[in-house]
Amino acid sequence: MGEVMTPYERVEAAWNLQEADRVPVAPMVIYLLPYRAGLSVKEAIENPERLAQAAIDQSELVGDFIHPALTLLDHQAVLPNSTWDQISIDWRIWEHFPPRGNIPSSYFDKDLIGDYADILERGFASGLFSKRLSKAIFERSVDQWLYYGFDYPRDFWRAWHRFVRETGKMLQMGARALIPFDALISYRTFEGMVEDVIDRPELVKEACRLLGEYEIVGAMRRCMVAGAGEIPGADRIFLGNGLGAPPYVSPAIFDEFVYPYLKMQVDMAVTRGFKVHVHLDGDLTAALETLSHIADGLPQGHVMLDFEKTNMRRAKEVLGDKVCIYGNVPAVLMVYGTAKEVDDYCRKLIQDCAKGGGFILGSECEVPWDARPENVRAMIAAASLYGRY
Amino acid sequence: MGQLADALAVLNKGAALAAVQTALDAGVDPLDLVDDGRLGMEIVGAQFDRGEVFLMELMRAAQIFQSVVQVLNPRIVATHGATRTHGLVVLGTVAGDIHDLGKNIVKILLECRGVRVIDLGVDVSADRFVEAIREHQPQVVGMSALLTASVSEMNKNVEVFNAAGLRDGVKVIVGGGIVGEIDRRRLKADLATADANAGVRAIVGWIGRED
Repeated sequence: MGEVMTPYERVEAAWNLQEADRVPVAPMVIYLLPYRAGLSVKEAIENPERLAQAAIDQSELVGDFIHPALTLLDHQAVLPNSTWDQISIDWRIWEHFPPRGNIPSSYFDKDLIGDYADILERGFASGLFSKRLSKAIFERSVDQWLYYGFDYPRDFWRAWHRFVRETGKMLQMGARALIPFDALISYRTFEGMVEDVIDRPELVKEACRLLGEYEIVGAMRRCMVAGAGEIPGADRIFLGNGLGAPPYVSPAIFDEFVYPYLKMQVDMAVTRGFKVHVHLDGDLTAALETLSHIADGLPQGHVMLDFEKTNMRRAKEVLGDKVCIYGNVPAVLMVYGTAKEVDDYCRKLIQDCAKGGGFILGSECEVPWDARPENVRAMIAAASLYGRY
Repeated sequence: MGQLADALAVLNKGAALAAVQTALDAGVDPLDLVDDGRLGMEIVGAQFDRGEVFLMELMRAAQIFQSVVQVLNPRIVATHGATRTHGLVVLGTVAGDIHDLGKNIVKILLECRGVRVIDLGVDVSADRFVEAIREHQPQVVGMSALLTASVSEMNKNVEVFNAAGLRDGVKVIVGGGIVGEIDRRRLKADLATADANAGVRAIVGWIGRED
């Protein structure tokens, strides 16, 4: 059978645990594309038209969907919208090309929250207004605040809607948000959270509840701005977790401090008609039984789990009849491997995970900007070579 | 194994500090307590190696040990004239990379083992490493990175150390998530590891002994 489905139909089939015409494939390439187009990170972020054009010009490297995650810039709005943006963009890297420290560091501890009292009293939004985050943000003019608050989102989505129209591919998300424990690590520093989890566990949990609600409500609103219900993929929330997983924290801490608030966020979004792409860095093989309940009580086809280091074969065994899984060609292989090695890896992944549907071939988190384009092409080709149903 | 090691092994800060106070009140030599604390750290380290505890617990043990040392240091100075460290390590995250979590974990673990650490921070240029080697004459230089692009930066730095005539005088260790997945032959270092505890063990071994 040839390719008879659109990217949207193919991805929808996978989310609904059905076999499509072939395995969907989507390396996360939002850094590679501007690099190859000669754009700096700053240019890519500040000019969504140029970034979207770079994606259109290089759509052979995109796969079935693209995530414009780098560039949503909610943090530049009058009222910062997303903790992800607050903590993930290190403004020092912007001017460089190739972008130094290309992946904005969510591991760069900023120690923005001295204690939890203020957050618990006034809600998490108060935590987003810290001058310690970046003086540059607070030095912006009124016109700049207004532009990034109101005009930029319109321009951003106008550019990406054009990408969808011209390529026929879909968006990976309409908004992103963080799983609260992970955000708190960045706000409190890893060292600070070590103390908090052991000395103040109930405060951590209450802060996770507040932050989790704040994040997911904002993400749903931003999905509507992105065109949820009109543009393929804009109804999806990309919910990320970086350090709230082994080897950084134990499976027990994941079960107690991470999963309950992740499940709360997923339930809030799905019951309101959104879909949730849960992006899970680290190795969650030991937590797969816990994650097998992520879609409990929800309609099928609304949750996808995206793994970095987790054993995908085991994930398929545990989750295969419950949620779609996505992953996990290693970043190192994309940079230092050969196209043959990528092909071998993808073939094995497809053998392990594709049977019966419910699998999307993806990269292990972001494909680095210095990846070999031929390796990205090999990954995309593998879906057609080995993933026909 | 004393009460301090017991308390550290179960990550109980209050019990650790209480054990220290009780022992000091009983006239125990504070250096013996440091040894007992290190024994507790070794227990947690072994649990980490076996996959029974994770980085957060390892970091907690190190934090407790540091709190203990803060109490003990004035007593050590009073009893023995000075605190003792052994060995000197220069650490930094290489140029172009600002990830510092792994580096910070290694730093705190080394300090728990009595090693003096010069932390150059993140985004550290080759010249800055060279300058630090010349100034501090460490036994070991540790370079950390998370990004794929930083691998070439690590190798470039080693070549710069060579060109400056400094390579033979120092051991070079590279660490971070990325080096755990790279073919080791690509890395021009004496040791490459993504395991903080294993890296610390190697460094302490190179330095020779602990005080």
